[in-house]
Amino acid sequence: MSLNTLAQALVSGALLGCFYTLMALAFSMILGVTRALNLSHGDLIILGGYLGYWLWSGSGLHPLFLVPVAGAALLPLALLWHWLFHRLPEPRELSSLVLTFGLSLLLQNIMLALWRGEYRLIASESLTGSLALAGLRLNQGRLVVAAAALAVVGALYLGLTRTRWGRAIRATSLDREAAALLGINVDEATRTTFLLAFCLSGVAGVLFATLHYLYPAGGIELTLLAIVLTIWAGVGRLRSVLVAGILLGVVEALTVAWSGPRWRELVVSLMLLASLLARSGGLARGWSH
Amino acid sequence: MGRRGWIGAGLVAAALLVLPPLTGFHPYYLYLVSTALLFGTVATSWNLLAYAGQISFGHAAFFGLGGYGAALASLGGLSPWVAIALGGAVGAVGAAGISLASARLRGAYLALATLAYAEIWRGIAHNWTAVSGGGAGLIGIPPLPTLAWLPVDFTRGRAGSYYLSLAFLVVVIAVFGGILRSRVGLAFAAVREEEERASLLGVRALPWKVLAFALSGLFSGLAGGLYVHMVRVVEPDLVFNRYFSILPLVMATFGGLHTLLGPAMAALGLYLVSELLLHPYVPAFHQLPYALALIAVVLYLPGGLAGLLPGKRSGAA
Repeated sequence: MSLNTLAQALVSGALLGCFYTLMALAFSMILGVTRALNLSHGDLIILGGYLGYWLWSGSGLHPLFLVPVAGAALLPLALLWHWLFHRLPEPRELSSLVLTFGLSLLLQNIMLALWRGEYRLIASESLTGSLALAGLRLNQGRLVVAAAALAVVGALYLGLTRTRWGRAIRATSLDREAAALLGINVDEATRTTFLLAFCLSGVAGVLFATLHYLYPAGGIELTLLAIVLTIWAGVGRLRSVLVAGILLGVVEALTVAWSGPRWRELVVSLMLLASLLARSGGLARGWSH
Repeated sequence: MGRRGWIGAGLVAAALLVLPPLTGFHPYYLYLVSTALLFGTVATSWNLLAYAGQISFGHAAFFGLGGYGAALASLGGLSPWVAIALGGAVGAVGAAGISLASARLRGAYLALATLAYAEIWRGIAHNWTAVSGGGAGLIGIPPLPTLAWLPVDFTRGRAGSYYLSLAFLVVVIAVFGGILRSRVGLAFAAVREEEERASLLGVRALPWKVLAFALSGLFSGLAGGLYVHMVRVVEPDLVFNRYFSILPLVMATFGGLHTLLGPAMAALGLYLVSELLLHPYVPAFHQLPYALALIAVVLYLPGGLAGLLPGKRSGAA
């Protein structure tokens, strides 16, 4: 592998990593406030992607204009998921896995019925082509996606740290009982978290659909990536998620550059198993903001 | 289990026994019910593991390892019976391996580890082309031999694998029943209910967990070996398919966690409803029963369907 290939892989991996950060945030926010592991996370993103594709092929608008629409379109599902998660019996982490396994299957069936398992891609002409920069060729689509992801993550960071509802979410995520004792409306904060997380998933879905082909069963890989990122970074630590996301993107790009794309899925699963074994205390133990 | 339960189970078993001649040895229906019976076996073996408190999201790993092990042995010239037994051994070793590796993981995190484990094996089967044949898999697996001392209609082709699947399911249920009544079953229940207290009383948890995994992997591996000799091909996306992880979990929880016959009954019911009633009419939605069953079980019936029956408690052998 030449130095140039290496640099190329590092840069495009880092760009992809910005997207991974955005993609994983919804998973980690919900885990933070509800202690529930959402296995339907990736399927929701794929659903957002399909909605984006459907709007794009119908209207021909620039995909970036469809980002907020897809984000808003998932909001009703946020309320439904919130209602379901509210009813989870103990042990929450395990029953959330079983419940969301079912929800994941349900979403895949619905997408299969609506879009018949065909591969879809938002192949907007405005996103193809590449820029040359210091001897590297940067894929324009990845640049736009990375910029959009960073913008959304930045806005979320400001919202979570500077606003009243953001602080309520962070307090609830840190310690639900203590937050409730301090007069924070934790139910309200939980609902806000679901709405925000699903909005992020819709946004991530449209961006994803410009990078990768969509197919109904494609969500599991995103879910696994989100879990890996959450293990690496911890819940609710936005800056750590960004670092972990970029690291993950670089690892993936190096894997692909070194051995070809067919090893990618295997590497994702290996990273998940290794991260779980290395952090055997459980995801939710000893985390703070 | 009450008397009515046994009578019901006896009736189902009798119906299954006479089904092949009644359908005129119809290959498609026999194939469907055989697959349902194999799912019943995997669901029962999943339930055996759950009885020891370990929830798996990756039984596709053990099923697929058994399938590949048996296929490779069979293609290497061994008799299909030996090959299937070897497949079972491979499944047991694979299950014991993940159990040992993830000895410190509990509950949801163990479940996630098994999910990743199944995906890893699928990836290996896809990429280790020299052995596994890659994504195209391996073809030309010999059929199960007929048995000379039985009427040929009953052991040939689909009917042969049907009766074998049925007999295998009965054996696995009988073994599970035996375990429930033995000291092993007591140890499993102790590990499940209170791991720390059990270890204080001298029941070391890890060997029992590994044993439960190995037994569950053995039965799932045998089912995988039988399956590949039934369909006579093996592919990564066929035997390491996520459905072999999802469906046993759905069937066992829907049929009643820790009950003897519930998972097998739920497997037959759900699989046949899905394939016979939904698949022909609404193909895109034929997996809907599994999804809805999972959601309903978690939210409304923590004991599974067995919780509905009066005078029964989940966990009572």
